Amino acid sequence: MNSDPRKLPQVLYIADSDESRSLVRRLLAYRFVVLEAANPLDGLGLASETMPNLILLDNNLSHMTSSEAATRLRKMLPGTPIVVVSGDTKPGARERALAAGAVGFIPKPIGGDFEELVTEYLRGKADGLENAEEYLREYQLELAEKIEDQTRQLTNTVERNKYLLSQNQKMFAMLERRHKLLETAARVGQMVTSILDLNELLRHTVNIICSEFNFYYSGIFLISDDRKWAVLRAGYALAGRKMLDANYKLPIDEKSMIGRSILTQQAQIALDVAGEPSRFKNPYLPDTRSEMALPLIVNSISVGAVTVQSNELNAFNEEDITSLQAMADQIAIAINNANLMKDLESANAELLRTKTYEAIATATGEAIHWVGNKAAPIPGSVRRVREDVQYLLALAAQVKDSELDNASLAAAVQTVREEAQASGLDLEKVLAEMSAMKPNRLQALVSVESLMEDLDIAENSAKTILDIKEGLIGPARQRSDTPVSLREMIAGTVENMGLPHGAVEMTWSEDMPLAHVDARQVEQVFNNLIKNAWEALTNAKIAEPKIFVQGQQDGDSNFVLVSVKDNGPGIPKDIQEKIWVSFFTTKGGSGGTGLGLSAVMQIVNQHGGKIWLESEAGQGATFFVRLPAEKLYLPDENKSR
Amino acid sequence: MTTVLLVDDEKLIQRSLEKTLLRAGYDVLTAPDCKVGSEVFSQNAKTVDIAVLDLNMPGFDGVPKNDAGLDLLADLKQKRANLPVVILTAYDEVNKAKDAVSKGATAFFVKGREQGLVELIQKILGS
Repeated sequence: MNSDPRKLPQVLYIADSDESRSLVRRLLAYRFVVLEAANPLDGLGLASETMPNLILLDNNLSHMTSSEAATRLRKMLPGTPIVVVSGDTKPGARERALAAGAVGFIPKPIGGDFEELVTEYLRGKADGLENAEEYLREYQLELAEKIEDQTRQLTNTVERNKYLLSQNQKMFAMLERRHKLLETAARVGQMVTSILDLNELLRHTVNIICSEFNFYYSGIFLISDDRKWAVLRAGYALAGRKMLDANYKLPIDEKSMIGRSILTQQAQIALDVAGEPSRFKNPYLPDTRSEMALPLIVNSISVGAVTVQSNELNAFNEEDITSLQAMADQIAIAINNANLMKDLESANAELLRTKTYEAIATATGEAIHWVGNKAAPIPGSVRRVREDVQYLLALAAQVKDSELDNASLAAAVQTVREEAQASGLDLEKVLAEMSAMKPNRLQALVSVESLMEDLDIAENSAKTILDIKEGLIGPARQRSDTPVSLREMIAGTVENMGLPHGAVEMTWSEDMPLAHVDARQVEQVFNNLIKNAWEALTNAKIAEPKIFVQGQQDGDSNFVLVSVKDNGPGIPKDIQEKIWVSFFTTKGGSGGTGLGLSAVMQIVNQHGGKIWLESEAGQGATFFVRLPAEKLYLPDENKSR
Repeated sequence: MTTVLLVDDEKLIQRSLEKTLLRAGYDVLTAPDCKVGSEVFSQNAKTVDIAVLDLNMPGFDGVPKNDAGLDLLADLKQKRANLPVVILTAYDEVNKAKDAVSKGATAFFVKGREQGLVELIQKILGS
């Protein structure tokens, strides 16, 4: 016995069954190298790779019969003996195997002589076949049948594929439609959140329903306040417009699909309207062949209905109905939102009115307080001036004609005496009082300086009051916007303010556009800001007070940005908000009205601009003013002003 | 000679009142806020006979404050408990002024008719 496995003959056994293979392996392992393949295709591959000395072929194979496998192996490896191991007990099984190209046939069950039989075939034994031609022909017929069968199967597969393809196409079309429906529903959903105006939303919805689904008409009805009518609120195309113009409405009753859908809260569908004699025929929509009415339900209460109409029969499939109903639900939500918004708006308006009244009351109170305060010194000053004038007149009346240069002056003095007497002013008595006074007191009373000062007090108080008036009503005055060079305007303003030379440093970027503003009001703005900055610097006794004005185009070129910066003490965080409030002032005695920044902000806001402050303690304060650039305004828009 | 300490941050009001008081024959010391007012009083503690204080003006820290006059009132009262003090007020703040009186002010005066202040001071100091 040869024990070197490399020298043992190789036998390839092709069998599907694990049991068969393990049995053959055990029976042949001593004298052969057993190669195994679990199916004929693997077997064919393995055979061509290993070129075994003998091939054993199980008769019960997948994919092909053992005969076929034998034929193909024979063709591939003509010199290799092929033996069929078969459990096939039908007559002719052996012959068929031999006809297919096998040299031998070992019937199952295999036993102790198996090794012996294999060795014999390996040594060249070949079973004889009588009537070989007959079996061959039979085998060829079998093969032909098989090919035919396979052809049929292939044809069937092709047919089936065609069917599947068309199914897929249908599915695809359906998916596409569903996709579109979803997309449309999503669009409606999006609109629901983005369009707050209900009428616009409804109009968009009917347009989408018709254009995306190819329905020829869609309309949306909402229930009237008395809940008796379904009133058309949106309608597609010309028919829709005509119906809207005619204030089209339907009674909420069983007679119309709209009415029924509202009453039953169920979709009403007529796939062929001709078959519904009780259907209400709409004269505006004579071509309707199928129709659907979907209720709009909010919190389980009907608020209206959507009608969708087609000029084709059976225009609605399940899918359409489902997604249109989903869309109707979206619209219902939108209607609810719009109603809530309306409620909110009226509540808001109420609140705003209250707030406005409060603000007006406060502002009025403040204004009266300030005007009263500012007016306080006027009566005192006027009283003193009156006294002073009496004393001076008393003195003037004492001047003798002879001391005057000419007759007209003498006449004037005479007039003083006469008019004083006429108005009940006893100059003699005043003079007597004066004579009785101590000299220093008398001197104080006839001081021209004091007289002038009192006139100044009265004048300045009156001016402050006028400033308050200007601050209060200035921003409300009619605006007349024109293209304005802020550069020239601010330079002029600074010059007129008479600040020390070099106190204001201005830089302007080349691309700064003209502003489109009311020149007078905006000049006030910068006048105020620069004046404020200068006062802050003066009050803080800054050694080298400086104001930097800078102008440039603001980002997107629709605005001009001007900043006014000072090197003063800055504005503390806790009052940065308060500075914009009317009548808030830190200026104490320096005569500020406390309306400056409030009026400034109002003016800037009314121009559609913005003003803000940036300030860190000790780092100065910078006011930024953004105003519309000139090119924002087209001639058209000027009409509204 | 009677000396009046007048503290008010409104320049025009202060000057006008000062002139009225001067004409009425008083010596007048002025200050624009609590801090300076307190200092001026301390420097002239022996001569000041009566203080006239505005209600709303910069406080001891120089920052404008409602009712800062009450702070100065307390300060002056601490320095001299029997100092007569008149609180100046706008017409619409009379309640606050009355409050000031309950806190130790001798009287309040509503800004406007300045001669009235002279009469009030005469009345306070005469009694």
